[in-house]
Amino acid sequence: MREQVAMGDASTAQSSRPDEAVLLRQFEARIARGQKIEPGDWMPEEYRRQLIRMISQHAHSEIVGMLPEGEWITRAPNLRRKMILLAKVQDEGGHGQYLYHAAETLGVTREEMIDGLLSGRAKYSSIFNYPSLTWADMGTIGWFVDGAAILNQTMLAKCSYGPYARAMVRICAEESFHMKQGKEMILLMSQGTPAQRAMVQDAIDRWWQPTLMMFGPHDKDSPNTPTLARWGIKTKTNDELRQTFVNQVAPEVLAIGFTLPDPHLHRDEASGNWVYGPIDWDEFWRVVGGDGPCNRQRLAVRRKAHEDGRWVRAALQAYAERQAQS
Amino acid sequence: MSDTQWPRFEVFKQDSHADRHAGVGSVHAPDGEMALLIARDVFVRRPDCVSLWVAPAQRISSFTVQQLASAAPPLRGSHGRGPESFEVFKKVHHKGVHTHVGQVTAETPFDALRAACQDFAEPPAHVWWLVPSASLVRSEPADSDSFFEPALHKPFRDQAFYRIQTLLRRLKKAGLAQKDGE
Repeated sequence: MREQVAMGDASTAQSSRPDEAVLLRQFEARIARGQKIEPGDWMPEEYRRQLIRMISQHAHSEIVGMLPEGEWITRAPNLRRKMILLAKVQDEGGHGQYLYHAAETLGVTREEMIDGLLSGRAKYSSIFNYPSLTWADMGTIGWFVDGAAILNQTMLAKCSYGPYARAMVRICAEESFHMKQGKEMILLMSQGTPAQRAMVQDAIDRWWQPTLMMFGPHDKDSPNTPTLARWGIKTKTNDELRQTFVNQVAPEVLAIGFTLPDPHLHRDEASGNWVYGPIDWDEFWRVVGGDGPCNRQRLAVRRKAHEDGRWVRAALQAYAERQAQS
Repeated sequence: MSDTQWPRFEVFKQDSHADRHAGVGSVHAPDGEMALLIARDVFVRRPDCVSLWVAPAQRISSFTVQQLASAAPPLRGSHGRGPESFEVFKKVHHKGVHTHVGQVTAETPFDALRAACQDFAEPPAHVWWLVPSASLVRSEPADSDSFFEPALHKPFRDQAFYRIQTLLRRLKKAGLAQKDGE
C-alpha cells in the first residue's frame, strides 16, 4: 500500500492511463465478481448516464409519491391511522433525499434534478398520476404500489453501484412497513361493513392495472435491459418482477373475497404462475407522456411547495452567513 | 435558482454505544449546525441512533483502492497548516459502508492517508475517507432527548408492528371472507 501511495504523483499519472477498452474489461470483470463500483472509480459514460436517469426518476417518484397519500392525512379515520400515514409520507420524503444524494455522487446536482422535475422534463413513476379517491385507496396503495416497489427495490439493493445499493438497503428496510400497514388495512376492511368492502373493491379495481404498469414495458419493448443486466444494475427483467408480484398478490386478494379486474386472470397449473391479460400500454405511454389524470395537478403542487418554501431557504442562508461572520 | 444547492455534508450515524459511526448518506445545508438538524430528520426516523456526525463533503479526502493502484490519487488541500487530527473512515466490504476506525495526526490529507494505511492496515480497505477532526459537527449527549428520544415511541414505523400473518390465519379460521357466509 505504501508503495502505491508513494507512486501517486498526480502530475505524471495522466500519460500512463490505460485505454477505454482495457478499463471497460476491468470494470465488467469487477462487476462479474460481485464488486461494488464507488464514486471515483472509472465507469463507462453510459453506466453513469443510465444510473443518473434511474436514480433521479426514482427520487422524483418518492417526492411526487407523497402527494396522493398526503391528501388523506387530515381525513384519516382515527389517530392510529393518521400517525401511520404521516410516518409513511415522511419516510417517502426521506427516501427522495437518500436518492437525490446517491445520484449526486455521479456528478449531477440536486438542483439540476429538482429543476428537471419542476419543469416537467424529468419522468417519475406513472402510478402517482392517478387520483386517490377514497380511504380504501390508502390501504390499496400500500399493499399494491408499495408491494410492487419493494420487489423492484430489493433487486436494486443488490445493484453494482455502491451508493445506490446502500440507499436501497435503507429504503427496503423502511418500506416493508408501508406495504404491511396497507395490507393490514385491507384485511381488516375485508371484514367490515358492506359499504367498506365495496369501497375496497372499487379501489382494487382502479389500482390493479396501473400497478402492473409500474414495472415498465414488456421485456421485448425494453431496450435498455440487457446492458443494465450486464452492468449489474438491473438483475431481473420487468416481466419477471411483474410475474412475481401477480403470483404473490393475486391469490391473496381473491382469498379474502375480492375480485381483480382481469377476466383473463388464472393460475397456470403447469408453471404455477398466475397468468394475466393484456395491459393497456397506450394508457401507460399517455400517462408517462404527461397526460394522465393528475400529472398537471401533481407538478403544480410541487411547484407551489418549492415557491412557498423559498423564504425558509433564504432565512436559513441568512442565518448561516451571519453565524459565519460572527 | 440556486437557493437549494447548499454545500453537501456526509452523515455518520452511531446505532448503539457498542457500534462505530458509519456513513449513511448525505444532506445539503447552509452550515454544519443545520446539516446536523436535517440529518436527524432524514436519517433518524427509526429508534436506532445514539449519536450523529456531519462532515462537509469538501473537507473529505477520499481514496479508492482503484485510484491508489492507478497511481493518480486525487490530492486535495495538500498544503499543510501544521499537524492536525484527522478522523479515519474505511469501507472494508464491498457491500459495506464507510465506518469510523480512529484518528491520525498529520500535516496533509495525503500524509494522513499514509499514517492511516499503517495504523489501520487490517482488514484491507476498498475506500478511505479522511476528515479533519475540527470540521466535524457532532451531536452532544445533551441533544439526545430532543434528537433521538422521539423515535423510540413510534413502534408503528416498524414492519413487525403489523401482524399480517396472524391476521390472515385468524381470517382463514373464521371462514375467511364474509362473502362465503352471506
